[in-house]
Amino acid sequence: MKESFFRSMTWMHTWVGLLVCWLLYLIFFAGTISFFRDEVTLWNQPALHQIATPSNRIQIQREQIVAGYDYLKNTAPDSNRWGVYLPSEREPQLNYAYEKPRPEGKRFGGWQDHYINPVTGQDVDQPRETQGGNFFYRLHFDLHYLDTRTARWIVCLASLFMLVALISGVVIHKRIFKDMFSFRSNKGSRSWLDGHNVSSVLALPFHIMITYTGLITLIFMLFPYPAMTAYDNGVRGLFDDVQPTNVRTKSNPEKASLAPIEHVLDQVYTNWPDADLTQVTIRDPNKASATITVRANTGSLVQDQSPTMLFNGVDGSLIAKTNQEFSASETVFDSMTALHTGRLANPLLRWLYFLCGIAGCVMIASGCIMWAKRIRERMKKQQTASFGLKLVEGLNLATLMGLPLATCAFFIANRLLPITTAERADKEILAFFLAWLAVALFALFKRGKRQWIQLAWLNCAACFSVPLINAITTEGNLISYLINGQWALFSFDLICLVCAALFIVQVKKLRTATSKTAPVKRSSRSPKKQLEEQKA
Amino acid sequence: MHTQPIENSQPLMERAKLSQFYQTHKYRFAVFSRFLAAILGGYVFTAVFTSLLSIILPLKKSDAVLLSISLTILVYSCVFIWVFAIKSLKRIWITILLTTTACALCIAILKDWL
Repeated sequence: MKESFFRSMTWMHTWVGLLVCWLLYLIFFAGTISFFRDEVTLWNQPALHQIATPSNRIQIQREQIVAGYDYLKNTAPDSNRWGVYLPSEREPQLNYAYEKPRPEGKRFGGWQDHYINPVTGQDVDQPRETQGGNFFYRLHFDLHYLDTRTARWIVCLASLFMLVALISGVVIHKRIFKDMFSFRSNKGSRSWLDGHNVSSVLALPFHIMITYTGLITLIFMLFPYPAMTAYDNGVRGLFDDVQPTNVRTKSNPEKASLAPIEHVLDQVYTNWPDADLTQVTIRDPNKASATITVRANTGSLVQDQSPTMLFNGVDGSLIAKTNQEFSASETVFDSMTALHTGRLANPLLRWLYFLCGIAGCVMIASGCIMWAKRIRERMKKQQTASFGLKLVEGLNLATLMGLPLATCAFFIANRLLPITTAERADKEILAFFLAWLAVALFALFKRGKRQWIQLAWLNCAACFSVPLINAITTEGNLISYLINGQWALFSFDLICLVCAALFIVQVKKLRTATSKTAPVKRSSRSPKKQLEEQKA
Repeated sequence: MHTQPIENSQPLMERAKLSQFYQTHKYRFAVFSRFLAAILGGYVFTAVFTSLLSIILPLKKSDAVLLSISLTILVYSCVFIWVFAIKSLKRIWITILLTTTACALCIAILKDWL
């Protein structure tokens, strides 16, 4: 649209990026935390902290399933659904769950969980009600307060903009290799540009992969058309074709006795002798339409669809089994979802995912700060800031400094809210949004360098208080986690402390920048960094 | 002598105003139109194009659909960038409309909808 291709792309990169950068920041921030979803959930449930993973975890799975089956038979014979959720490497507890009676007009009544310590076989106290890491996971594509569908369309549009900005970013980047190694600090917007380049280029394959595959996870909402054209019943037809275990039998309320679980398990272990099972779910138990679904872990395969077997619940015969021989197209499609969710990752790879996610946050944050900084630098002495500039500066402060504070508020609320509070999980989330709202209101009045410093101090205090409050209110603390080798909890607390330290660095940076440059208000290098780190 | 007929000057002024409004906001209209072409035009084109792809690819039905679906985002982002790379707005709109119609027509013929 401009005179040259290069200038068109620069123009597009700037505006497409600026339009959605704050939303993208939220998505990347919450998404990065979600890589440690199970670990965050564990941190949020101190009742489960004492559970250790038995060394013969896989060998005892069979006994656990049989015991769970018996327990559910005796406890909830009339429930619509049962589930036996086995401990994994990341989730230590064994869970026998059944669906609570459905309220009028609802399609699902919610799970009644019953947690068991797999080592001792004893019941565990019901953990506090919390969303844990699941909150951040849902937040990064459902945006919490919005209607799910609307939110997902907005997220998709933002992701498309992101992808386009990434591609055009590469195009306009003339010295992509050289810039990978150049960072000129304390040079105003030049430093910000360097920061933007370094964080983008170093993790570029990750950024493109995560954005593309993210869109792919929502593709059936975004582009159902190919499936609709090829299949008479659209997306459902495709699913039935690709996933044989997806068949839905009509509910039949007639009573029928359940098949012995031993019979089912014999077939499972004949097919998969060394299987690491994750869950056994029973639909319509004790009814004529009963089905039993057994799922196994995909392990470190780049595959999203877990190996599944579907059994008839009355006679125990195998109805369907996932096809483990993928065709080329299936592999391409399925591996994209697997790459996005990162469930395949071992701890080291998971940390790499996390670091790349942080690089993404830095990239987005430095991009939006740079825009504001450049406009400020171009302004003449007496010129007043335009509405647009003020808006961008306000959103920058509110988002970049508000999200880490909100995250801390969420975790602090988890520890401080009384266990018996009604709708406790919702109140934790409310704390998250209230903290964010407070920062946004603050940013409404002033957006200067001093405000950045104040909020950095506040964030520092909040980050520091998370492990502190944890140590006071629960039995464990940073040192006991280290001694007992509880690495998930240890890393969580450690990251909070690292973030607190980074916020102090930010304050220092902001101060030195104040004395050197003209009294123009703006932030310095670290805000984004810290923010991101926060997420663990 | 130089007086214009009064009944004529009113519409003329209106038109002048309109054209002045257009002139001052010309750039905004152009940007808006371009974003519309990129987001909406790109979406419709991608939808129709990949739908066509899903029925003409010489693969098993489910494979053809999965492959076309995997390509949607690539197509969409390429169209998006193309819209911003081309100078003439008219050319963009005409190209999008023509190709979309052509693809839709092919689908209709292949699926016997006509």
